[in-house]
Amino acid sequence: MSYIVSTRHVSKIYKGKEVVSGVSMNIERGQIYGLLGPNGAGKTTLMKMMLNLLKPTSGEIELFGEKLMPGSVEMFKRIGSIIEYPIFYEKMTAKENLELHGEYMGFYNKHAIREALELVQLTSIDNKAVGEFSLGMKQRLGMARAIMTKPELLILDEPINGLDPVGIKEFRNLLRMLCTEYRMTLLVSSHLLSEIEQVADTIGILQGGKFIREVSMNDLRSEHTDYIEIVTPHCKQAAFILENQLGVSNFKIIGDSMLRVYESRWTQQELTKALVLNDIEIEALNHKHTSLEEFFMQQIGGGEKHA
Amino acid sequence: MLKLMQLEIKKHKLGWYARGAAIAVVIISFFMWLMPYTEDYGEAGFNDYVEALSAAGLIVRAVFIVFASVLISRFIIDEYKNKTVSVMFTYPVQRKKLIIAKMLLILSLTFVTMIISTFIVILVFLVVNSQFHFIEGKPDGALFLHTGIQLFIQTLCATGVSLIPIYFGMRKKSVASTIVSSVFIMLLLSGNAQGFSLSSNVAIPLILGAIGFVIAYLSFRNIDKTDMV
Repeated sequence: MSYIVSTRHVSKIYKGKEVVSGVSMNIERGQIYGLLGPNGAGKTTLMKMMLNLLKPTSGEIELFGEKLMPGSVEMFKRIGSIIEYPIFYEKMTAKENLELHGEYMGFYNKHAIREALELVQLTSIDNKAVGEFSLGMKQRLGMARAIMTKPELLILDEPINGLDPVGIKEFRNLLRMLCTEYRMTLLVSSHLLSEIEQVADTIGILQGGKFIREVSMNDLRSEHTDYIEIVTPHCKQAAFILENQLGVSNFKIIGDSMLRVYESRWTQQELTKALVLNDIEIEALNHKHTSLEEFFMQQIGGGEKHA
Repeated sequence: MLKLMQLEIKKHKLGWYARGAAIAVVIISFFMWLMPYTEDYGEAGFNDYVEALSAAGLIVRAVFIVFASVLISRFIIDEYKNKTVSVMFTYPVQRKKLIIAKMLLILSLTFVTMIISTFIVILVFLVVNSQFHFIEGKPDGALFLHTGIQLFIQTLCATGVSLIPIYFGMRKKSVASTIVSSVFIMLLLSGNAQGFSLSSNVAIPLILGAIGFVIAYLSFRNIDKTDMV
């Protein structure tokens, strides 16, 4: 198996505090890898270490099968990145910034800039200095800069910040496209779970600097199947009926007024009918899918409160 | 390396530097014109050409050491402050090369402007002198050659000295301390105590110049291992 990025027991101690501790993770070629974690989990630190901006206190990182050393630079030709918020030379125009990037990367393709700007839908910017851009525009420009050299690996730290809902949707499509059409491998960090859930192939969860779990989205989907959620004030009676009349065994009572039925052989109609015939008031009955958000909450033990 | 220096120029644009230098040269020339008139207030003006030429060189060097600190702030300190270094350091170029390109650019700009400015200021002074006769007699070629070589060496040293503020600026990534330290260095070098000035002795500027290069080297020796927070 060829890993594009692989870290082994990487730790970073910053000002006496262990910000990242013993992270071992692998990213396969052609994947979109979602790095998930609440603020301050160490996502940015981990990504910065991959880019050699921070040096690991212990452990090692391999990029494209090559060990990352303090003076390594060659591999960065093959990497595009946005770390934290995108940084530009604010007095220069978007185009000048991209030209400069191309020069430093050793990438000379006149069409690449226009192409990249089109991909992120940032074409009507003319000759405005980047300093006058909104955060959303900068985010798009940062993305354009990261992808203009067609790198093999994209490292994107919170790329969704500052985008509006339409922008987020476009962005998701763009990530998919980069992965499928340009064969890029992507590492995308986020604390917005619902966003990453829809694009990632594999998800790594980071909390308090520790790598908690890595799951492939396919496994996760089968692991967390659909269920029907029933909201009723007579929870116990409803449970009794489900169990004794319908023979449902796989269900769960959540709180005082909620039931989840995990068996798919019963349709919503059948359940409603059974409950109504027994005079049980139903406030709501819905078909649901466990989102990654809940899974994530379980993992980090965040309780009921959603991020 | 030349390519990297070109990119630095592209990034930081140098129009402001050229304008600033031009204004400085005009002011220094004017100052040189006024200097002889201080004689009336008990201070000595210029006794001979050597004195006048050395004074011109000294003022020019002092002024452009401060200019160099502004270049350092723009090229190096600002990149750290604006965090654009963290973009630069993800490029497939050795960090040391990037920094050396910046320093070479600062050095060559400072050296070239010092030389040209000294030349212009002296030229203006000679023209003015031919009208006002502050100094009697005509200067001879040997004198010019001698003083010229001396000025050249002093300028070379001053260029090295101009790198010293990097150390103070990099400690806290502060533009203010870069420029303030350069002003101190300038005062130290051009300060005159009862006829003795640090720059009148050849050895001292030479040592300071060397120190400048060493400090610049030390400031970035570990750059590959440094964390970009």
